[in-house]
Amino acid sequence: MADERATNGKTTNGKDLDPMAAFRDMRDTYLDAWSKTMVDAVNTEAYAKASGKMLDTYLSASAPFREIMEKTMLQALQQLSMPSRADVISLAERLTNVEMKLDDIDAKLDKLTELRKQTASATRVRKPAAVAPANKRRGKR
Amino acid sequence: MAEAAVVADQFALLAERLSAFGKTVTAKVPIAQTPKRLVWTLNKAKLYRYVPVLPKEKRHPVPLLLVFALMNRPYILDLRPGHSFVEFMVNQGYDLYLLDWGSPGPEDKNLKFDDYTLEYIPRAIRKMKAISGVEEFSMLGWCIGAILATVYSALRPDDGLRNLILLTAPLDFSNKQDITFPKWVDERFFDVDKVLAAVGNMPADMIDYGARALKPVDNYVLNYLKLWDNLDNPHVVEAWKAMNTWVTDNVPLAGGVFRQLIVELYRNDRLMRGEWMIRGERVDLGRIRANLLTVIAEGDHITPPCQSEAILSKVSSKDKELFRTPGGHIGIMAGSGAHKITWPHLDHWLGRRSG
Repeated sequence: MADERATNGKTTNGKDLDPMAAFRDMRDTYLDAWSKTMVDAVNTEAYAKASGKMLDTYLSASAPFREIMEKTMLQALQQLSMPSRADVISLAERLTNVEMKLDDIDAKLDKLTELRKQTASATRVRKPAAVAPANKRRGKR
Repeated sequence: MAEAAVVADQFALLAERLSAFGKTVTAKVPIAQTPKRLVWTLNKAKLYRYVPVLPKEKRHPVPLLLVFALMNRPYILDLRPGHSFVEFMVNQGYDLYLLDWGSPGPEDKNLKFDDYTLEYIPRAIRKMKAISGVEEFSMLGWCIGAILATVYSALRPDDGLRNLILLTAPLDFSNKQDITFPKWVDERFFDVDKVLAAVGNMPADMIDYGARALKPVDNYVLNYLKLWDNLDNPHVVEAWKAMNTWVTDNVPLAGGVFRQLIVELYRNDRLMRGEWMIRGERVDLGRIRANLLTVIAEGDHITPPCQSEAILSKVSSKDKELFRTPGGHIGIMAGSGAHKITWPHLDHWLGRRSG
């Protein structure tokens, strides 16, 4: 059997012989165990505390730099007579409000169009019935 | 000498595979290719209507609105031709609309669930009704999109919602022991106000890290190993590229929404307890009367099944169903088995209620 494998590169069930298969199985078993361990590890209070502390430390440490950067940028923009970040944000907020008002108008226009359609179709339906009595009245005169 | 040639061949093969691996990992493939038309916009939000492929008499008269999560791109619903939920539903004759939330900017940091559920969704629905010329509609919410759909349905039960589908909906936050996220955002360890003061909107990278860190080995090692092992399989490579394009294309979450998600939901479970106030209105789940289908992914580690089950006992809907399906948070809709299990079930359930 071993000779047969060596000569034609096939296993007894006809599949290609893969010398790395055993290694891959071993690797997958190890990774599977590692995966389960890590899922359990991140689901602990200790992990939550450690990651929270790291984030908190980063935010505290970077806060002074952020403040300096913001102040410097604001001063530079003022010197150049350029709008600040806050100005642009305020403008964008106002634009959204304008968009909402436009949407309200759009809604009203849709409603008017629908009403016009309904009125037009109702008129078309009523017209023959309304004309007949009028003719009759005229005929009587 | 001959041995040296064999070893050299192996090095050449390795170099070739590494090159293919590098190209695949960094590839951005075309996605969201089902033809659609932009019909409404507000701020960053866009409403698309998919171009119908069936004649009107063969289509379902009740339109379907898709509402996806706020921090991911919605094209996971239309990943690639032949593997697209959107394409499948359009072919089944649904008048399909998709609400794309877009990417919030610094000016949107104060947006809350209140704004999305009482400003954006009602306006998009009004436009959808005007275009389709109908008063009733169906809505499908996925993940945080399911929270939005649920809150909207409870606050506006008379707006014409006939069918509500909730996919992997994180609604019940009472179980704090078995779920990882509530531990991470516990107020003893996580200062949400300090974070938001520094970043405004919750950055996409931080959200992405949070999702991946739930299963770190799977997401940071096994995912790439699977690709390496299947580099010769074009089907696996194409699917991997499309999914990787989506996974690496996240958007920030508006600061106001993130704060509500942590404080109101993860920490205080206000929705299930009937205490959540949205613009002064209490979100009463008992006001939901629409036909309800809740889909649970049994292997979901982001929204574990226990977060989606309780909604059924809270609503007033007479027609309600819980559907459990194997797979993960995304896999049930975009995985290789989605077109065999989840999509046909959604079509079957919705088709009978969309006449």
